Amino acid sequence: MSEITKVFRNEKVFIGFLTAGDPSKEKTVEYILAMEKAGADIIEIGIPFSDPIAEGSVIQDANTRALSNGVNTDEIFDLVKELRKESKIPLSFLTYLNPVFFYGYEKFFKRCYEVGINGIIIPDLPYEEKGEISDFAKRYDVDMISLIAPTSKERIKMIARDATGFIYLVSSMGVTGVRSQIKTDLKEIINEIKKVTDIPVAVGFGINTPEQSKEIAKIADGVIVGSAIVKIIEKHGYNSKKYIEEYVREMKNAIKI
Amino acid sequence: MKKNLKIKICGLRRVEDIEIVNKYKPDYVGFVFAESKRQINFKQAKILRNKLDKDILAVGVFVDSNIEDIASLIEDNVIDIVQLHGDEDEDFISELKKVSDDIKIIKAIEIKNNEINQDTNVNEINVKKWENSSADYLLLDNGKGTGETFNWKLIGKIKKPFFLAGGINSENIEEAYKFKPFAVDLSSSIEENGFKSSKKIAEIMKNLNEIKTKNAVNMNRGEDKSMNNGRYGIYGGQYIPEILMNELLKLENQYNFYKNDPKFKKELQTLLNKYAGRPSLLYFAENMTKDLKGAKIYLKREDLNHTGSHKINNVLGQVLLAKKMGKTRVIAETGAGQHGVATATAATFLNMECEIFMGEEDIKRQALNVYRMELLKAKVNPVNSGTKTLKDAVNETMREWSKRVHDTHYVLGSVMGPHPFPMIVRDFQSVISQEIKEQLFKLESKLPSAVVACVGGGSNAIGSFYHFINEKEVELIGCEAGGVGVDSKYHAASITKGEVGIFHGMKSYFCQGNYGQIAPVYSISAGLDYPGIGPEHAHLNDTKRAEYVPITDDEAVYAFEYLAKQEGIICAIESAHAIAHTIKMAEKMKKNDIIVVCLSGRGDKDVESIKNYKIAKNSYNN
Repeated sequence: MSEITKVFRNEKVFIGFLTAGDPSKEKTVEYILAMEKAGADIIEIGIPFSDPIAEGSVIQDANTRALSNGVNTDEIFDLVKELRKESKIPLSFLTYLNPVFFYGYEKFFKRCYEVGINGIIIPDLPYEEKGEISDFAKRYDVDMISLIAPTSKERIKMIARDATGFIYLVSSMGVTGVRSQIKTDLKEIINEIKKVTDIPVAVGFGINTPEQSKEIAKIADGVIVGSAIVKIIEKHGYNSKKYIEEYVREMKNAIKI
Repeated sequence: MKKNLKIKICGLRRVEDIEIVNKYKPDYVGFVFAESKRQINFKQAKILRNKLDKDILAVGVFVDSNIEDIASLIEDNVIDIVQLHGDEDEDFISELKKVSDDIKIIKAIEIKNNEINQDTNVNEINVKKWENSSADYLLLDNGKGTGETFNWKLIGKIKKPFFLAGGINSENIEEAYKFKPFAVDLSSSIEENGFKSSKKIAEIMKNLNEIKTKNAVNMNRGEDKSMNNGRYGIYGGQYIPEILMNELLKLENQYNFYKNDPKFKKELQTLLNKYAGRPSLLYFAENMTKDLKGAKIYLKREDLNHTGSHKINNVLGQVLLAKKMGKTRVIAETGAGQHGVATATAATFLNMECEIFMGEEDIKRQALNVYRMELLKAKVNPVNSGTKTLKDAVNETMREWSKRVHDTHYVLGSVMGPHPFPMIVRDFQSVISQEIKEQLFKLESKLPSAVVACVGGGSNAIGSFYHFINEKEVELIGCEAGGVGVDSKYHAASITKGEVGIFHGMKSYFCQGNYGQIAPVYSISAGLDYPGIGPEHAHLNDTKRAEYVPITDDEAVYAFEYLAKQEGIICAIESAHAIAHTIKMAEKMKKNDIIVVCLSGRGDKDVESIKNYKIAKNSYNN
C-alpha cells in the first residue's frame, strides 16, 4: 500500500492545495507546515503553469502570481526538499503535462523520488495518454492520481481499476473554484468505483465550507480543498498563516466522525 | 459503420401517451388500427397525431386492412409509415407505394422459436422472401404483438434494416442491441396497469443512451487503431481533462458516422455551394506573374467566400454536425475574428445559440469584427487572462466547454486541439485542395509545382495541402509569422523556433520558455498569433514533406500592398505572409512552373491596423 493510500485507513482525509511560489517559496513551505499542523492529511503542491485549462480564475491568478515571482520547477524541488525536513505527511504535485514533459519525464520523477514527493495529479493527462509517464511514475514510486468526472459514466470502472494512491472525483462540471452547491450524484459514482477497487475516493472542485465537507465525507473517503485556501493567500498574502491554519482546522474537524 | 439505434414506441392511445413521448422523443410511435387492446380508430389517431411532436414519425399498424383505408390515413398525414402485420403480399406493398412517393413500409415477420432445430429453417425462408420485397424495413416479432421475445439467435444476417419487437425491456435491451437491429419496438414492457408509463419509458431511454455511448466508445477505440490513435507520427493525441473525454469520443464517433452519411454530405454540399459560394475562384494573377518574371502564379480565392475567409468551410461542417448531434449551442475561440464571424454566421443561419471567446488585445485590434459577431447575434466574451490573445481564448473556450458539454459543441477553428479536431477540421478544409486540383487541371492540365499558404494553427494550409500530400512532386510550403524577426522574442514561428511540447490537447511544436511555460508570441496578424501549430503540420515538417518558413511583419505588409497594387486585391494580413514568400520564390522559378497561393481571407479588417503600423514605422524611421 502506498504512503498516500495508507493515510485513508483510519479516518476521513483532508487534502489541501496551494500553488508553489504564491506569494513566495518561503511562504509556501510555511503554509504547508501550517496546514499539516492544523490536521491536513495530504498536501497537493501546484507547480504553476502559464495556461492551466482546468482551473477557475482563483487558481489561474495564483499561477500567474507564482510565475511572475519567477518560481520554476527546479526551485520547487528544492522547496520540497526543504519542506521534507519537517513535513511527515504525503505530498503530491499538481501540474500540467508540458512542464513535466519539458523537464524530462525520467529526470522529473527521479527528482520527485529524491525529494519525497508521493503522488502526481495531471489534469490534462487522461486515461488514454497515461502511457506518457506511467513507467517513470512506477519506477520512482510516485502515485499517479486519476481523475473521474461527472461525465465519465462507463469510463469509471476502466479508470478506477488502474488507479493508484487515491481517486480524485471531480464534484461538478467546469473548472476549479468555490461553489455554493454540488448537484452531481456523487454517491452513485462512488458506488461504481467501489465495485472495482479498494483505492480511496476523495472529492474536489468547489468544496469550501465545513458543511459541504461534512456532507461529502459521509459518502467519500476524503475532501480536496484548493481554491478556498488559495483565496485566503490571495487576500492575506504574506500574512496568511494563521488564517490558513484556522480554516484547515475547522475543515478537518468537520469531517471527523 | 452501424447507424444509431432507433426507437419505436408502439400502441399509443391516449393524449397522455402523446405527452409522454413528446418528452422523450423516440424516433417513431405506433398507432394500432388492427384488432387489439391497443386499437384506436381513425378519428382518435388524427387527434393524437396533431398533438405529436413534429420530429417523431407516426407508424400505422395494420393486419390485412384494405388499401383505401390506409391511403386515406396517409393522405390526411395521420401516418408516415405503414406497418403490415397480416398476410399482405408483394403486390399489396407495390400498390401501397403508389399512394405516396414518401411512404415507407415495414413488413412484419413472425419468428417461431420452435423452428430452430429443423433442417429447413422456416424463419430463414420467411426472412429471405421479404428481404427482396419492396418493403423498406422488416419487423421481427414472435407473433402479433404478444409481448414475448423469440430466440434472437435466429436472426442471422439480414440485408434489410429491421425493427426488433416483442418483449424488449430495460433488462434485455443491451442484449437486443448486439443483434444490430435498425430499431427496437417497445410496447408492453413500458406499460403499467395497461397504459404507457412515463417512468418506465424514462428508464429504458436512459439505459439505451448508456448502451449507445458505451458502444460508441468501444467502436471508437477500434477505429482509432486504423487511424493510429489520432496521431500523425508522434504528434496529436488527446491530452485533455477527463471531464471532456467522453464528449470527444462521442464527437469522433458521430463525425465518423455523418461523414459517410449521404444526407449529411448533401446538406453540407448545398450549404457550401448555395450559401458560402463554393467553389471559390482559382485566379490567374497575371500582373504579378509578369512583374516577377518567374513562375505562373494562381491565387485560390478563399477571400471570396461568404464571411471573407476559408473559415466558413470548417464552420458550416461543424455547426451542421453539432446540430445533428442534438446540440443547441456552439462556442468558439477567435483571434483575428474571422473564425468568430464565421461561427456566428453559421450559428445564426442554422439557428443555434452562439458565444465567442476573444482576447482583450484582439478585441482592440479587431473592433470591426467584434461588431460583426454581435450583429450576427453572438455574444462576444472578452478574455483577460494570460496574454489576452488567441491562446488564452482557446483556454477559456475549453473551460466553458467543460462546464456545458451536454448542449454545447466547441467549434474549434483550426487543425489543432485534441483528436478528433485536427482530423475533422482538416477534412472540412480539404475542399480547398480538392478544388485547386480540379480547377488547375482544367486550366493547365497539370499539377502545381508548389502550394503556398500561411500557417497559424494551420487550417487553410492543411486544406490547401491535403490532396497534394501524396503527389510528391508538389512542393508544400507553410508561412509562419516571423513577427519582428525570429531572432527576437517577438514572433509566432512555432516550427522555426519552437520545441516539441504538449498543450491544448495535442503534442506538437510550441513556442515555449524555460521549464515548459508557453511563451507569449507576437505577430502583426492576430490570426497567426498562436504559440503552436497543428499536429499534422508538425509531422509533415519532420518527414520533410512540407517546408515551413518564417515571414516577418515587414515582409507581410510589403506583400499586402504589393498584391493590392498589382492585382487590385486587398488580402488579409495572414494571407499576405503567403504572398510574401511567393514573391521571394517565384523569381527563382521557371516560366512553366506554377505556384498556387491560398488567399485565405480578405483584408478589410486589417486596413486600419496596417495604416497605423506604417505611421508608427515611419515616425520611428524619421
